[in-house]
Amino acid sequence: MEPASQVSYFAALELPEQLSIDRKDLEARFYRLSRTLHPDRFARAAPEEQQRALDASALLNDAYRVLRDPVARAEYLLSLRGLVPADSKYVPPELLEEVFELNMALEEVKMGDREAIPQLRQSHKSFQQMLAETDHGLESDFSAWDSTQNPELLDRLRARLNHRKYISNLLRETEKALESHVSD
Amino acid sequence: MAYSDKVLDHYNNPRNVGSLDKKDPNVGTGMVGAPECGDVMKLQIKVNEQTGLIEDAKFKTFGCGSAIASSSLATEMLKGKTVDEALAIQNTVIVNELSLPPVKIHCSVLAEDAIKAAISDYKQKQAAHKPALEPAVA
Repeated sequence: MEPASQVSYFAALELPEQLSIDRKDLEARFYRLSRTLHPDRFARAAPEEQQRALDASALLNDAYRVLRDPVARAEYLLSLRGLVPADSKYVPPELLEEVFELNMALEEVKMGDREAIPQLRQSHKSFQQMLAETDHGLESDFSAWDSTQNPELLDRLRARLNHRKYISNLLRETEKALESHVSD
Repeated sequence: MAYSDKVLDHYNNPRNVGSLDKKDPNVGTGMVGAPECGDVMKLQIKVNEQTGLIEDAKFKTFGCGSAIASSSLATEMLKGKTVDEALAIQNTVIVNELSLPPVKIHCSVLAEDAIKAAISDYKQKQAAHKPALEPAVA
């Protein structure tokens, strides 16, 4: 076993360093490798060996958490490649406008009382749909990047990643609002 | 995390929430965001044509308490200033005034960015507006 700190998250899951990942395959790898590192298997091993298994297991958990999230995975891989530019915070104005409008609409719905619940459910549904669409777009961005590594793809990729962050945040907000209405 | 009293005050009683007419040539609109936190901040200024002073400022922010407080404070600070004075406002002033902890400093940076974006929008509109008033060269 190599020292855990020098192993990339991709290597930890025995995957090539690329953006496209099959989630089912990733999950299967995670469970299979977790079993090989289970403490029970090392109960009678030397303390150093036990520690190594523990470290490897911690790395495996971190790796799985990052790689199963498309945004975290893309940011991780881009940072491995040294592709985190100073303007990574740049958000296209159209996206800001859109997110602002969506927030306005959500706020209005949240202000409503219990009667707002159907509308909140509707927003929830549409955010889920937007998230699915963004993920679909990400998948094609990912495979385009994996096959060409064309730097011109990066801006679109970053914009899409930011879009996804905003949409998943809106989705979370909507879920929170729904929960608070239900628990009233 | 505990918010300072000043943050809570601005959060509970935000000043100058609302919007100004985006199409008005004397109004500058800045829209900025921090995708990490899901924040979006819109800040607008209205400059008095005669005096050159910022006579009104409005904001609307979706985000955490510190982001709301930072933009609320920013609108308060903007009123009565010239555009150049407004450009000189730095996020550190907001940090100190609101006693923002290190993890929330980016909220004040966002507010400073919003001020700069609003002023740059105002200047662009003024530049586009003025030459049209000059007589066309035959």
